[in-house]
Amino acid sequence: MSDDQQVPLMQQLLDNHFLLLFLGVMVPMLVYTLWGVIDILTIPIAK
Amino acid sequence: MSAILPPADRLWWKQPLDRVEGTWIVIAFVWCMVMFAMMVGWHIYGKQNLSTETYKTTRELYSAKAQAMVDRYTVRKETDKEIPVVHPPAGSDVYLVARLWDWWPILELEKDKTYRLHLTSMDYNHGFSLQPVNINIQVVPGYEHVIKVTPNQAGTFSIICNEYCGIGHANMAGRIYVK
Repeated sequence: MSDDQQVPLMQQLLDNHFLLLFLGVMVPMLVYTLWGVIDILTIPIAK
Repeated sequence: MSAILPPADRLWWKQPLDRVEGTWIVIAFVWCMVMFAMMVGWHIYGKQNLSTETYKTTRELYSAKAQAMVDRYTVRKETDKEIPVVHPPAGSDVYLVARLWDWWPILELEKDKTYRLHLTSMDYNHGFSLQPVNINIQVVPGYEHVIKVTPNQAGTFSIICNEYCGIGHANMAGRIYVK
């Protein structure tokens, strides 16, 4: 059996349910919501 | 093999990728890249996905600018609502106001000349929809969208409101003349 072999990093990542949950929530929150809010807040004032 | 049981091999990552699964992944990825490129492509070469400048404004500031343009360049009045027809100089900033329930003023533009068209609403969200060209821009209170327009066709174009704004929404139509 391969019990003594090191678990590959990709497998460690994909087997870590809570890390996946964290990334699944944080990545869209940052890329869509946070970036979108920053975009709206930095709209310049009309002259 | 079942999807809900743990993998048979402890080091399941090392199991070689099935050829069909690999092909499926490649095809799906390539198509995603094509669709992403189309977003850029449509923006550059398409007629609908426009880039506007956007500014934060107030009703008072914007109406002052619109009224100044109307005061300087009105040529006549039309319709029973006495909406001024404005003929601004080529290359200038032209202002359109959306409010319950009309488009004010009526613009008279010249063919092949470029203008900076400003759009805002005095009250609720409206939709600027230029027909039959079908150019659509959301018009939002508190924000001013500026878009560079160069009319390439003479005639009369209608503006309809395509964002529901209340009981007069269906009758909220304006026009633009291009000479």
